[in-house]
Amino acid sequence: MNNHAKPVFQCTGVHIHIGEKEIVKGVDLTVLPGEIHAIMGPNGSGKSTLANGLMGHPTYTVEGTVILAGEDVSAMPPDEKARRGMFLAFQYPVAVPGVTVASFLRAAVSAVRGVDVPVREFRKELLARMEDLEMDPAFAGRYLNDGFSGGEKKRVEILQLLMLKPKFALLDETDSGLDIDALKVVAKGINTAVSNDTGMVLVTHYQRLLNYVHPDVVHVFMDGRIVRAGGPELALELEERGYDWLEPAAAAGGV
Amino acid sequence: MASRPVVNAPPTVALDHIEELSRVAGEDGTLLAIRNQARACLVPLELPNRARHLWRYTNPARFLPESDPTAVAPIDVGSTWRLDEPLSVAALIAGGALRLVEVDATARKAGVVVEDLHRAPAGDLLGTVVPASHGFLEAINTAAWRGGVLVRIPAGISLEHPIRLRLVAGGLSLPRVLVVAGEDSSFEVIEGHVGGDRGTGKVIGVTEILVGKGADVRYGLVQRWEPGVVGHLTARARVLAGARFQMSLASFGGAAFKADVGAFLAGEGAEVETYGVAMGGDSQHFDHHTEHIHEAGKTHSNLDFKVALTGSARSAYTGMIRIAPGAAGSEAYQENRNLLLSENARAESIPELEILTDDVRCSHGATVSPLDPEQLFYLKSRGLPHLQAMRVIVYGFLDQTLARLPQTTRDRIAALVAARLHTD
Repeated sequence: MNNHAKPVFQCTGVHIHIGEKEIVKGVDLTVLPGEIHAIMGPNGSGKSTLANGLMGHPTYTVEGTVILAGEDVSAMPPDEKARRGMFLAFQYPVAVPGVTVASFLRAAVSAVRGVDVPVREFRKELLARMEDLEMDPAFAGRYLNDGFSGGEKKRVEILQLLMLKPKFALLDETDSGLDIDALKVVAKGINTAVSNDTGMVLVTHYQRLLNYVHPDVVHVFMDGRIVRAGGPELALELEERGYDWLEPAAAAGGV
Repeated sequence: MASRPVVNAPPTVALDHIEELSRVAGEDGTLLAIRNQARACLVPLELPNRARHLWRYTNPARFLPESDPTAVAPIDVGSTWRLDEPLSVAALIAGGALRLVEVDATARKAGVVVEDLHRAPAGDLLGTVVPASHGFLEAINTAAWRGGVLVRIPAGISLEHPIRLRLVAGGLSLPRVLVVAGEDSSFEVIEGHVGGDRGTGKVIGVTEILVGKGADVRYGLVQRWEPGVVGHLTARARVLAGARFQMSLASFGGAAFKADVGAFLAGEGAEVETYGVAMGGDSQHFDHHTEHIHEAGKTHSNLDFKVALTGSARSAYTGMIRIAPGAAGSEAYQENRNLLLSENARAESIPELEILTDDVRCSHGATVSPLDPEQLFYLKSRGLPHLQAMRVIVYGFLDQTLARLPQTTRDRIAALVAARLHTD
């Protein structure tokens, strides 16, 4: 963590609607380079809406200001946000049949870095990152997320995180559906990204991942708001006590 | 779907100069007789009834010649062809004649024969796979075809390099192709349709392929006419026992294109695969009909046809699988998927199954769908701009099918797909 650094991500007054319905009801967040923030909350609290809305999913209407590394990206489409260094690891990664992991990633890396990465160089880098994540090199030739198991999809999300080297990453329930070995690999990937100064928001509703990834800040998210923020000990408290004890705070409209 | 029969005006296609055409082309009496029979066959034929499935989506009158095709002097279209790959055979049909034939030394030594169909002793074979009675346009072609090639591969011969036939559209073209694959021969033949760069062109083409016992033939039909061309291509293979026939179909060009392609699985154990992609844009009209006709037992066919449309393009696909009473133990699969990239594009998909025996496995699937917004969002969230994300999805959609083709054909069609994606 670098306390003197400028934030890689800052959002203020974020409200997100689906049609008429307000899901996210005013969120402010500031993330510094290399910081890990965990956003924990019960199912249906709007965590995934927050992550997808911030990235620019077309279903959502987003109000508020989103600043990425000092630049206002609030009005930008997702691809422009991505090219400026923002990343979303999907809870449910989408299959794109007919497009191999390697060709997709080469297109993405070229788009984000703004240069055509030579095939040989790209291939070398890809295989090295796959080895880091204990992935069979044959994965490079498979169609993206097509027929992948839940754990394989999550590994491929982390592979993308490591290849794209974003300034700021939102990880939406990347830990769900993983066995313990896969969880460790995913955690290793997250820690690698953080050591390269990526600021990170982990959206999760289990404490499990936090045994391997150490958050600087834990936010409790209920009914579309952050109702409490604290250190890593807050995650343990949630694990022990659940979310019910925070309901009065949620009803009061958050912190 | 109940539909009212559409009454067509009686066709008025004059074929008054068959003898002269045949004589000038140097044909023997057998070929002339086939032409005359076709003309006789045409007289009682009516224009295809638009109430019938095969012509429900496309007006047959569009494909008719505007004047007597036996009288029209063919337009001498430019016919340069840069041969930039190793080929066993290169043959070019343009301006109503076979203009160029090159047979490499290996193929020549192996006894591969490539002849001008007008002068070839092909009277016993011509019309045996696609007879004049096949339909109105096939009868016109059989009576009035001009510019044809016979390719004959002897038994037991395997050709390393493909055979490439190029057919150039211009004015009115009625090309005819006859490929004879000897027993246990193995080769790839690509029929590429180009041309029409003078803005218009009309094509009525027929291709027949005889696949001998145990042969392995990969046949590609690649249509990339210039905009404005209106064309109808019929291609059929007769596949004998133990033989394998793989067809790849790639449709890109023209204003209106109807393809009627397929195979007769005529001998026990015959295998037929058809893989195709079509990409249409602007106001292009595509109509593809495929037929896999299982005549013999233990035959196997598979079909995978993909269509991607932009602009206000239209596509109709009708896919016939017929399993004859004697074809027990056969399997047939068919899949047609359509991707619509714009609100005004339309696609229809109609599978047709005639299963006349019990002991078969058969399945079909068809979808018509727009771009998946979740796929788009996923790719955009990785930095790909909208247009590039769209192209990646379309390319993947089509490449799944192309992946089943021989590598060189796959690469070639993939390059055409990529080029097309970058112009739309």
